[in-house]
This record gives sequence, structure tokens and C-alpha cells, in this order.
Amino acid sequence: METTILFAPLVGAILCGFGWKFIGEKAAMWTATGLLFLACALSWIVFLGFDGHTQQIEILRWIESGSLSTSWSIRLDRLTAIMLIVVTTVSALVHLYSFGYMDHDPQWRTGESYKPRFFAYLSFFTFAMLMLVTADNLVQMFFGWEGVGVASYLLIGFYYRKPSANAAAMKAFIVNRVGDFGFALGIFALFFLVDSINFSDIFAAVPTLAETQLTFLWREWNAAEVIGVLLFIGAMGKSAQLILHTWLPDAMEGPTPVSALIHAATMVTAGVFLVCRMSPLYEFAPGAAGFITVLGASTAFFAATVGLVQTDIKRVIAYSTCSQLGYMFVAAGVGMYSAAMFHLFTHAFFKALLFLGAGSVIHAMHHEQDMMNYGALRKKIPYTFWAMMIGTLAITGVGIPLTTIGFAGFLSKDAIIESAYAGGSAYGFWLLVIAAFMTSFYSWRLMFLTFYGEARGDKHTHDHAHESPKVMLVPLGVLSLGAVFAGMIWYGNFFGHADQVGKFYGIPVAEAAAGGQNAAHGATDTDTVTTSEAGHGSTDTGHGAEPTDGKAEGEHHAGFAGAPGEGALYFGPDNHVLDDAHAAPKWVKVSPFIAMVLGLALAYLFYIVNPELPKRLAANQRPLYLFFKNKWYFDEIYDAIFVRPALALGRFLWKRGDGGTIDGFLNGVAMGVVPYFTRLAGKAQSGYIFTYAFWMVLGIAALVTWMSIGGGAH
Amino acid sequence: MEELLREYLPILVFLVVAAGLGIVLILAAVVLAVRNPDPEKVSAYECGFNAFDDARMKFDVRFYLVSILFIIFDLEIAFLFPWAVGFKDMSDVGFWSMMVFLGVLTIGFAYEWKKGALEWQ
Amino acid sequence: MIQADLYIILPEIVLALYAMAALLGAVYTTKDGMGPVLVWTTAALMAVLAIWIATQDSGTRVAFGGMFVDDAFARFAKVAILLSAGAVLLMSQDYMARRGLLRFEYPLLVALAAVGMMMMVSAGDLMSLYMGLELQSLALYVVASLRRDSAKSTEAGLKYFVLGALSSGLLLYGASLVYGYTGTTLFSGILVSAHHGEVSLGLLFGLIFLISGLAFKVSAVPFHMWTPDVYEGSPTPITAFFATAPKVAAMGLFARLMFDAFGNAVSDWQQVLVVLSVLSMFLGAVAAIGQRNIKRLMAFSSIAHMGYALIGLAAGTQAGVQAMLIYLAIYVTMNVGTFAFILMMERDGQPVVDIDALRQYSRRDPGKALAVLILMFSLAGVPPMLGFFAKLGVWQAGIDAGLMGLVVASAIASVIGAFYYLRIVFYMYFGAENEEPIETRSSPVLWAALMGSAAMMLVGLFYQFGVEGAAAAAAATLVN
Repeated sequence: METTILFAPLVGAILCGFGWKFIGEKAAMWTATGLLFLACALSWIVFLGFDGHTQQIEILRWIESGSLSTSWSIRLDRLTAIMLIVVTTVSALVHLYSFGYMDHDPQWRTGESYKPRFFAYLSFFTFAMLMLVTADNLVQMFFGWEGVGVASYLLIGFYYRKPSANAAAMKAFIVNRVGDFGFALGIFALFFLVDSINFSDIFAAVPTLAETQLTFLWREWNAAEVIGVLLFIGAMGKSAQLILHTWLPDAMEGPTPVSALIHAATMVTAGVFLVCRMSPLYEFAPGAAGFITVLGASTAFFAATVGLVQTDIKRVIAYSTCSQLGYMFVAAGVGMYSAAMFHLFTHAFFKALLFLGAGSVIHAMHHEQDMMNYGALRKKIPYTFWAMMIGTLAITGVGIPLTTIGFAGFLSKDAIIESAYAGGSAYGFWLLVIAAFMTSFYSWRLMFLTFYGEARGDKHTHDHAHESPKVMLVPLGVLSLGAVFAGMIWYGNFFGHADQVGKFYGIPVAEAAAGGQNAAHGATDTDTVTTSEAGHGSTDTGHGAEPTDGKAEGEHHAGFAGAPGEGALYFGPDNHVLDDAHAAPKWVKVSPFIAMVLGLALAYLFYIVNPELPKRLAANQRPLYLFFKNKWYFDEIYDAIFVRPALALGRFLWKRGDGGTIDGFLNGVAMGVVPYFTRLAGKAQSGYIFTYAFWMVLGIAALVTWMSIGGGAH
Repeated sequence: MEELLREYLPILVFLVVAAGLGIVLILAAVVLAVRNPDPEKVSAYECGFNAFDDARMKFDVRFYLVSILFIIFDLEIAFLFPWAVGFKDMSDVGFWSMMVFLGVLTIGFAYEWKKGALEWQ
Repeated sequence: MIQADLYIILPEIVLALYAMAALLGAVYTTKDGMGPVLVWTTAALMAVLAIWIATQDSGTRVAFGGMFVDDAFARFAKVAILLSAGAVLLMSQDYMARRGLLRFEYPLLVALAAVGMMMMVSAGDLMSLYMGLELQSLALYVVASLRRDSAKSTEAGLKYFVLGALSSGLLLYGASLVYGYTGTTLFSGILVSAHHGEVSLGLLFGLIFLISGLAFKVSAVPFHMWTPDVYEGSPTPITAFFATAPKVAAMGLFARLMFDAFGNAVSDWQQVLVVLSVLSMFLGAVAAIGQRNIKRLMAFSSIAHMGYALIGLAAGTQAGVQAMLIYLAIYVTMNVGTFAFILMMERDGQPVVDIDALRQYSRRDPGKALAVLILMFSLAGVPPMLGFFAKLGVWQAGIDAGLMGLVVASAIASVIGAFYYLRIVFYMYFGAENEEPIETRSSPVLWAALMGSAAMMLVGLFYQFGVEGAAAAAAATLVN
């Protein structure tokens, strides 16, 4: 079954990409889509029926080279199962959605065939992504990692007639190379030290790694820390974290379904997945984990500030994605991998929903993407409006504070913010709260600018704005369900009591000592809602909460146990973040909600009550506005620091180095020296016997002289 | 020394006889021959060519052919002499080896004969 | 005793007797009318002998008091000689017949040359060495000038003869010096007296003269000058023959002399061979660039290739000899294919040798063009063609023997040399359209030789015949 899930998209890609000429466009597209729905259905069966025990399903022997011996197999554990449903569900829906969105694309002339190619790329991407998440070893993962990179490159540059799309595709590819280099170095280091690239072996060796010193660059480091940071550099590239984030906004040049699938729901979360997958390593590398926290929080904050002032609807959502990925990394960095996965999971639904909704708006507005030209679309495209509204409610985190009733983003984001607090990262906590405020602001800004107010921009376009076809609305509906309920249904599994989480991930749970200072909190019931309620409810008493479901306190001191690699995630013996988070003060738990309300209020004030206010503010605070508007000048700085010197160096090496020195030398030899000798040899070949005999005699005389003077004669 | 010289006495005798015979024959020609010279007769003779002429003249390649064929049999004789001298102490292998050699030579001779190499035209 | 000796040289005797019987048979019947038949019977006999020798597994046997040695090395070389000579004979039939050159002596001379070559690689004594060498050379002198009405062909024969005589003289001089300083002509006797460090100046001179004489046969620089002229002047099938079997025989003899007679003084001859090898590779590469005549080009190519093969010999190790033997086997295979193609090149029934005629050839006959492309790549040593692995083998042996400089030089030379091979490919595929296109009439034999050799280059079918194992065994018997 797992093999079918993995290969169905590949078969679809091949049939659709190469076979459409034989079976026809429509049939090819439906084949790809049908196979993905099959994969999706099977994935849900796997996810729901999964018992938490890690399985390895070998497909074939893969690499046998020296001590490098590895097979291509599927590692099926909870982490993989989660990713399977995320990837296949969103991908299947995006396939379906593309039937409507890609129809009659103005980029192509009539009669040109582009849709099968698009579907084939999408299916290929899905296959590569599944390769990544089902990997049982790092090289296999790297294969998928690069595969999604290629697919992303192809899809960003899908409109290859647009120079900007081509530039964006190249940028995405090149920036990712930087990250991949770090990732590859990490893999090399692991292989160097562990002599294996299989996860099981690596996890088993992690405690040793933490005590190993590794010489890297100019000094010795703790091996676990170095590897942790190197792998995270790979994750930074793929997940568009600060420093390596510049490609993500540009990637919006791709068709909107692509943005929804690759640059929101799946590929960009590969970095988070990697960090969670390597949780045993990060548990032993506190420095690297701290680095992840700081960088994640910074990214969340930075991206949110930029998102405030963007006017391109897709770019706003792109920065929002960047920011949300920052949240996930903070969770992973403080050791709450489960919360990171939770947010990854819910984010996939509501962010895909937002993107597809945005796509629907763009489709309605004839490929106009500037929000300044929208307005008052609520009545024109009601279904889209409601879908976007649900997405916005989810991303801003609307819910009832201190309960577990709320939209998906409410639960997962709060879980992260509480974890950040509990993890002891004040920097992370405050930045995330501020980012939550900004998230709320720009999300509502998007809603208000698009659907409320007056119609702006081209009147003709507004007149002809129309609701999207059914094939686009159905995915929106399905994703809306996810955005509403995904958080509430699985809260307990991801962020409930240790027992429950442990069972979900297949991690052994041990009874902690009764006096464990942080290990206790109020509930152990497996019922999600009551447990969490209890957890929230107990916070007023600080730690050691009162039990609400009648069980004795002593029984509830449960913590995670087991060796690294046992279960899908690993929590070190000192990792009490889960319990601490549940025991966080009430103000901490309410803070994201307050931030959300403030953001909403401010957006309402700015864009509904007094639309002149933003302009005035922008005029007043012009430097700050420009700073945000120009994305903190990252592109410009990179252009000055890296791109131009690299181009200059390249040009120097090309013109002087390659053209002048190497070509010059070789041309000199090939066109000057060698022909000279050729002519000489030609002259020596006079055709006269006496010349030939003379040369022979000369040769023997030289040999005899040489041997008798300098040779081995004694 | 005496001994050594005595061994060479027959050669000395041979030399004297040879020289004497030569002188006698030449003198006999002077005394007895009829003299009737003409330019062809008094000119120096060398294999049918003018003795004092350009050395790079063409002449028939068949000269070479004949001389090469001659040399082969000349060498055959050179081989046969030592073989014949030691014939008394020869084993069967030695005898048959020479027979094989002569056989091979004969095949060559048969070939060149049949091929027409011995005919001037 | 004598029966045992005769039994050991039975293959040679059979071939020689056949040649003489056929000579008489033909000359007393239809003469040249027998030509085609004799070509086929000679080739068939050679193939049968090759199989016979290849399947013999008789270890090392010595005949005539050590003058004739039959061991794995000799057998390897003999199989290569017989097979390549037979293949070239078959390839030449059509070409020779159409130009009235198919005299009945031609296959028989080739057979006799083959007998000489078999003697050479089995020589265990300076006298049998010389006998084999001369038997081979005399036959070759004659076939070089087989086309008696062509000035070039007779010139080629004469040049070859005169210079060959000079080299034989050098060789004989060397042999007599060696005899004078060791008191024996038997290799095993020389081996005992020629220890490194005890080699007297006279013996060293003898060694150098011997090497010079052999270097002439393998056409190593500076004893190579005859090669281009003879290759160009001889009829193409003869050139093909020159480029294959005699090279194997001469290299085999070279190796046998060096190891069997001077195996205790490796470092004395090693440096000489290094110099010959470097000179050959560079001259072969550089001089061929100026050639427009494909036969001359192949002449320089063979000079260069002998240079590479000499690396294996110069290594002075078992691995080196093994690499050399494999190199020769691959080289012969490549040359058979290449000359099969050259034999096809013609315009209006006249042979064409100008490489300009190949322009845009790929359009007219893509299949053959592809085969030639593969062969050229292989000759140039481009992986994954077999020619690359041949070079790799000798380089490996050279490096292991500490001849890093030689290997580096050879790599440079092979880069230079790649130019003219690739130029042919360039002409065939990208060259400007030629006014006078060539036809390539192919008989089934030529076609099979071309395609078979190209296929071997590509798929490494070559190694399927146990060549590697046989070469290893051969090298092991020679170097111990």
C-alpha cells in the first residue's frame, strides 16, 4: 500500500507527461489526478490505521559501495504518516483545482498544449516529495530533496515566456543550492562519523556523537552541534528561513496552484520535517537547537513586517508562509517537535486554502494580482470570499481562549507560543507574539482590501469578475473543512498529554518520579478536549495542577522515555517543554489571542473606518515603510555582496582566466607550438632513405653516448 | 716456429706453381697468338657495359634476378661444404636437416623455374 | 628427442609446409587463378592453428636445446598474430582482386611472414630470434612492393628493405656484442651473466644495438622513419597487415628478449625504453596532425600506439607486460576495424585516402560513420571505449612501477593525439559539404570487420574471450 502511494504519482507523471500525445490531453490529466486521489485515499487509510510502530518497507537494494550500504526503503512512522496525508491531500486537491485554474491560460496561444506538462510536473513533484518524506536514510531523503527542488524549478519557471519567471526559477534553484550544500556537508559528516546514512544507525549513534569532537573549518567543534547546524542550513534553504529566504516571494511567479502546493503546504515544510526527523540529534545539540529557535523567531518577525506593506496578494501570503515556517522552527528549536508538526499539519490546510482562494480571486479578476485594484468583491465571488474568510480566521488564530475550541491555526499557533515560553526562550516568545499581531493585521488587511470597501482599478475587470468553476470551489471547500476542524480533532495527539502524544508517535512513556519538578500537570485523559481544557484550566495554579477528571495526581507524572530512534520523535530525558507549556501562566496563553484581536482592530481601523490612514502613516514613517516595502533590502544587499562580486569574479575568470590564460595557453600550444612541431616532423620526413638511415644512426649514437656517460654502465 | 712454417710449405709450393703457370700461359699467348686488333677488342670489358661511362645508367633488372638466384645456390654450397666435411661424424638428424634444407631450396627452385624467372625473355 | 622438439613446433611446421605445398600447387596449376582460394584456405588454416594453440594448455615447453620456447606468452602472441593476419587476409581479398593484385603468392607470403613472427615470439636464442625476424621481414619486403607497376609501392618496398637491412645489421652487431661478452647466444645463458650492476659496457652496447634493431620493427622513434612512407606506398591491405600482426610479433619479441635475456638488468634497459616510448608518443601525436592521407595518419597513429604499449614494457613488471599484451590485443582489434573502413573508401572504383573525402560522410552512411566514430574515439582513448581501458592499464602499470613522469607525458601526448582522430569524426559529422563524395563499397567481410571491431570497442565484448586471463598467464610466465 505504501509503495502504491509512493509510485502512483510517478506513474501519473510519466503517463501524463509522455503519454498525453497517445491518450489525449484530457485523459492524461485525469489519469494523473485520479492516481493522486488514489494515493490520497490510501494515505488516509495508512494514517488512520497506523499503530505507532516504525516499519521499514524495503523496495530495492540501492547503493553498495565500500562501507556505504543502503537500501531504498520506506520508513513508515507517525511523522511519515502525517506528511503523507498532508502531501497527497493538498496535491490531489491542487490537481483538481488546476483543471479550472489552468484552463485558457493567457500565457499560451490557442492550440498550444501546456496542461499535461503542468500536471506531469505536479505529479512528479508529489512523487519527489513523497520520496523525501518516506526516506529511510539521508541519501534517499537528499534525492527527494533535490527532486522537489527540480520540480519547484520547473514549476516556478512554468511560464517560460516571462523573463521574470525564469529569473525567479533560477533564483530559487541557486539559493537552494546554498542550503543543499550545507545539507550535503551534514550528510557527509554523519557518514564520516557514523559510517552509515541510515536513520536507525544514526539515531543509535547520536549519544556518542554528542561526545565527539569534529574538526570543521578552523577549529574543533562538538560533532552533534556541527551536524545539527549543517543540516539546519539545508532546512533554511528549503524552508526559506532568514538569510536564505529571498527566493520564496519571487517563486510566486509560478502559477497559483503551484504556490499553494509547493510554496505553502509541502515543499517549504520539508525543512521543518527534516529537523523533526532528526529530533534525536537536536536533543543532543542544544546549541544548534538554540540557533534554530532564534532564527525561526527572527524569520517569523521579519516576514511578518514585510507582509504588512505588500500589495501583491500572492506575495502577502508568501511572506505569511515564511513567517509561519518561522513559528514551526521555533517550536522545533525549543524541543517541541510535536507542536512544530502540528502547525505544519494545520498550516498546510489553511495556507493552501488561502493560496487557492487567492488563485480564485486572481482567476476572477483576469490575472490581476495587485490588491490595490481589488475591493468590494464579496458579492461578486461569495464562495471564494467565505473560503478566504475561513482561511483568515484560521491563520490569525481565532478561537475561544483557554479552551481547545477554535480554528486550526488557533490551536497550533498557541501551542507553539506556549512552547516557546516554556522552552525558556523569551526572545522567541515575544517575537512570536508580535508576529501574531502582525499576522492578524496583514491577513485582515488582505481581506478588507480584497472583499470590502469600494471597487478600485480597472472597471471593466470588476464588471466581468465571476465566480470560479466547481472544480476550483470543491478543493476550497475541502480545505476549509480542514482549516476549521484539523486543529480541534488532533490537538490531543499533537499537543495533549505526554501519554497521548507518546502513543500517537509510538514513543514509550515512562512514569516520572513523583517529585519531578516540571513533569506534572493536570490531566491524563485520552479524551482530547477534556484533557486540553484541563491543561489550560489548571494553569492558574501554576504548576502541579488540580486534577479535573478525578485521577490521583501521582499517576500523572508521565514523561517521554525510550532510546533515540524509538518512535517517530525523540524527547531527551530533560525535555519537559510539553508539560511546562501546559503549565504556562494564563497571560501567556491569552497573549496570542489578544495580539490577534489588536491586529484585527487595527486593520479594521485602517482599511474600513479610515482608508486614508495607511497612506498618511506611510508618508509619516517613510523610511520604515520603504524598509518594509523593500523587504529589509535583502535583495539589494545580496546583490551588492554576493551577486555582483560573483558576476565580477565570474566575468574575470571567464574573460581573463578562461579566455585569456587557459584558452590563450591552450590555443598557443594547440595552434602555435604543436603545428610548429608538426611542420618540423613533416620536414624530417624527407622521403630520402639516407635521411632516414641518418636518423637511425643518430638515434643509436645518442643512445650509446647517453648510456655510456650517464647510464647504467659500470 | 720451424714446425709452423713447415706446415705452410705446401701453400708456398702451390703459390709458386700458380704464379709460374700464370706467367707461362701469358707468355705463351704473346708468343703464339695471332694479333688482329680492332677498337672493340682493345677496349676494356666489364659485363657488357662501357667501363668509363655514367654510373647511373639503366640496365636490365633481369641481371639482378639472375644474380640473386645465383647467390642462393652459392650460399647453398657454402652450407654444404662444412656439412660434407663433417659427414662422417654426422647423426641422422644432421643428415635429414640438410635434406630438409635442400628440399626447401628445391621447392624454391621449382617455383622460380615454373614462374619463368630463369628465362631471359 | 627430436620427435618431441618437432612436436613442439608443429604449428609452425604445418604452416610452413602448407605454404610450400600451396606454392608448388599453385605454380603448377592456374597460378593467379588460385589466389582467391588460397586466401581463404590460408585464413582458415590460420584460424584453425590459432584455435589449436589457444586451446593448448601445455605449460612451458622448450625445444632444440632452448632455442625455441613454447609458453603461455608465446601462445598469446601467436593467437593474436594468426587471428589478425587471417582477418586482414580475408579483408584484403575483395580489394586486391578488383585491382588485379591478388597474386597467389600474396597469401603464401603472409603465411610465411606469420611463420617468422611465430618464431620471433618463441625465440629462446639470439639465432632463432634473428631467423624469425628475417623470415618475417623478407616476406614483408616483398608484399610491400606487391604492386610492381606503382612507383610508390616499389619505393615503399625498397625503402623498407634497405632500412630493414640496416636495422638487421644493427641487431646483428648487438647480438655479436652480446655473444662476445657473455659467451652464449641462449637467452637463459645471457640472463645468468647479465645482472644489474654487473653489466659491462660492451654488453650494454650490445643491448642498445639489440633494442635499436627491435625498435625499428616496432617503429619506435627515432627508428620509425620508414613507417609513414611504407604505409602510404603499400597497397592498403598490406598496410593493414603491417599495422597489426608484425607489431604484435615485434613487441612480443621485444618483451621476450628484455625479460628472458636481460630480466636481471631491468633498470638498464628501462630508461632506454622510457625515452623511446616518450618520443614515439609525442612524435606520433604531433606529426599525424599534419597528415591528410589517412594511411600516413594511421602510420603515425601506430607509432604513437607503440609508444603507449612500450610504457607497459618499460614498467618492467608482470602487470606491465600484462597491460602491454592487452594493449596490443585491443590495438590490433581497433586497427582491423579502421583499416576495414579505409579499404572501403573509394571513388569511381579508385581507392581514396584523403581524409577530406570524409566530409559529411555521416549523412550518406550513418551506420558506418557511427562505427568509425566509435573506433576513432577508441583510438583516441575516450572512455568508455575500449581504447581508454587499454591506456588505463598501461598507465596503471607505469604508475605502480614508479614511472609517473612517463605516464603524465603519455597523457599529454594522448590529448594532443586526440585531435586528429576527432578531426576525422568532425569531418564526418560536421564538415563542410564535399564536392566529390566517396562511396564505401563494402563486402560482407569488410562490413563484419568494421562493425565487429566497433562493437567490441563499445560493449567490451573483447573481455569475454578470456583475453585478460590469458594475458595475465602470459605475463606470469614471462616475468618471474
